[in-house]
Amino acid sequence: MLTRRDIIVKWSSYAVASLVLLFLFALTLRDVKVLGVSMFLPPLLVGVLASVEDTRASVIFGLVCGVLCDLTVAGTFPCLYTLAFTGAALCCSLLAKSVLQPGLICSLSVTVLTFLFVDALNMLALFFKCRAPFGAMASVAIRETAASCLLLLVCHPVLLGLHRKFTL
Amino acid sequence: MKNFLSRYGVWILAVAAVAAVGLSVVSYFTSTSSILENTAGVLTSPFRYAAESVSEWVDDKRHYYQSFNELLAENAQLRAEVAELRANARQADRDREENARFRELLGLREQRRDLEFESAMVVERSSSNWTRTLTLNEGTKHGVAVNNVVVSSEGYLIGVVTEVGLNWCTVQTIIDTDTELGALLFRTGDVVIAEGDFALMREKRLRVSYLPADTALLVGDYIVTSGLGGYYPSNIVIGTVESVETDDNGLAQYAILTPMCDFDTQTEVFIIKSFDIVE
Repeated sequence: MLTRRDIIVKWSSYAVASLVLLFLFALTLRDVKVLGVSMFLPPLLVGVLASVEDTRASVIFGLVCGVLCDLTVAGTFPCLYTLAFTGAALCCSLLAKSVLQPGLICSLSVTVLTFLFVDALNMLALFFKCRAPFGAMASVAIRETAASCLLLLVCHPVLLGLHRKFTL
Repeated sequence: MKNFLSRYGVWILAVAAVAAVGLSVVSYFTSTSSILENTAGVLTSPFRYAAESVSEWVDDKRHYYQSFNELLAENAQLRAEVAELRANARQADRDREENARFRELLGLREQRRDLEFESAMVVERSSSNWTRTLTLNEGTKHGVAVNNVVVSSEGYLIGVVTEVGLNWCTVQTIIDTDTELGALLFRTGDVVIAEGDFALMREKRLRVSYLPADTALLVGDYIVTSGLGGYYPSNIVIGTVESVETDDNGLAQYAILTPMCDFDTQTEVFIIKSFDIVE
């Protein structure tokens, strides 16, 4: 059983690790195109943490991440990431608790699920705003998800390592 | 799962809904960014600038070692272009003098274009695949406001300021899907609409719609801002026509437009804070 202090230290570590990963990503890989699209890191952080942490904490982390992304990253509508990350964190956490065992496959599955939330909202927003063709949007969504999954090779060990450090 | 949802479901929904609605309302009703967005923008701007600087440095090094022959060919082509432009400029001088004489004879007001510029550095390019925006290092404290037009150092249209904070602003580029600009076909004077298109955004192109039925567009025709309504300055070059296509229903035509500047290579841009144009 973790004490209140341990919980604060653990989530602070997650926050710092996430910020460091985001900054390193911005420094090195932001302009790199894989499969013709840019990779997007925040959904991975939300998905992977939701798969290993308890549901309430994951949802709060997803909500905070979503609000921060909405404040700093341009989206197709103002509260896109708040809605997508909160919903995705809840679903990922429940899925990981009931169906999947924590591991790379689990992280991969929840990452795909998180991107499904983000991209579905993006597609709906763009369809209603400017009747963007679904084929083109689906193609971007699939390639973005596939390209971003490569980042799991770094994110998964870092976040799981932190999780193990605080729980075992 | 049922237990969790029954205990916390309402609270989670309430918090998410309040946050979402709050952000939407603030974003919709304010001409500048909200306090939260402003603070987030100010706090993150040094990191964005650092990331962009490193990225620029890597790009610079990569370009430095690019093919020497390509540069030689480009140099020869540019020399020929300069010679042609010099001849055009001489002709334009003569035309300008003639125009001034005619204006005086007809008692017309003197043409002028008073544009107030603010130079700005690009501190971040949006990495999203769904929008195409730039973040600049100038904000409300430098007099930048929403709907200010942003042009490249050559005077080509880059986009429009959509959000502004204390020392930063977000520019929606002309290829973004939200873009819709009144434009003019320079050769014929026809009024058209230049708008972003999701399928074209990745190719850094945009679309020209509402072409008049009798318009004969040619590849290479210049499209400029119309300035109608007084929101944006007129005669800023948006791009050139790349091809003319027919709609899926086969009834209307649209053109694909290539912007004059490459948004990925811009480092310094100019914001037009105010303008007074007499045509």
